[in-house]
Amino acid sequence: MNRYEKAAAAAVALMVLAAGAIFLFAPTDALQGPVQRIFYLHVSSAIAAYGCFAVVLLGGAIYLRSENLAADRLARAGAVVGLVFTTVCLVMGMLWAKPIWGAFWTWDARLTSTLVLWIIYAGYLLVRRLAEPGRQAARFAAVVGIFGFVDVPVVHFSVTWWRTVHPGPVIVNDALPPEMLATFLFTMACTLALAAVMIAIRYRLETLADGPVPEPAKVVAAVGSRDAEPVR
Amino acid sequence: MIYLVIAYAFAVAVLGGYLVWSLRQLRLLESKRPER
Repeated sequence: MNRYEKAAAAAVALMVLAAGAIFLFAPTDALQGPVQRIFYLHVSSAIAAYGCFAVVLLGGAIYLRSENLAADRLARAGAVVGLVFTTVCLVMGMLWAKPIWGAFWTWDARLTSTLVLWIIYAGYLLVRRLAEPGRQAARFAAVVGIFGFVDVPVVHFSVTWWRTVHPGPVIVNDALPPEMLATFLFTMACTLALAAVMIAIRYRLETLADGPVPEPAKVVAAVGSRDAEPVR
Repeated sequence: MIYLVIAYAFAVAVLGGYLVWSLRQLRLLESKRPER
């Protein structure tokens, strides 16, 4: 078992503990019943996605400033994992909405801005996949990643800026009983740990896929030779 | 109750599936990497 597999096993163990807290420790909501338990992972996934997209922003900004390949890889890793968590957040939200609102989807500000967020980062990954790998693609993707992050505060504050069907903030408004709050905070910490492990694994995958970085002396020699391989 | 079960089953499938897939990819790429 390598260190990535050990980290993944630890993250899975934490998520099993979080599931125990969600289903065995947290009380059942008096109004909504058991379906309210979707809340814990739905909101934690949203926060994990925000964190991942902040990594894309940071990686993109560092890449644009210094053309650091490691920063570009970090941004790529953050985008993939962020998209996975946004998908979980959106689908869990839809499954929670059906019994409570009577519909899977409504074009409400929070839902729509989250869908836009998903599309932005799916677009980011499409740019990475379709563009010829190299400096231009990395710079273009970094710009998409930086401007795409503008949607994160829009998603977050949509429930206070506009009148929406989606409930407003419950954590900062002290709207949760202590057992629910403790379960939520624990689930959020475990989900963030899982996201960090996923980013680390994805970063390693991107590093291996990129291949070894050419040493400066070899690059100079290769550029000087007529049958030189293109250097990425 | 059915929506709760489907929601968590979906989350486990997506998060678990992605984690397993990425670890398998990692093993594959590490095994292809030339020994130093």
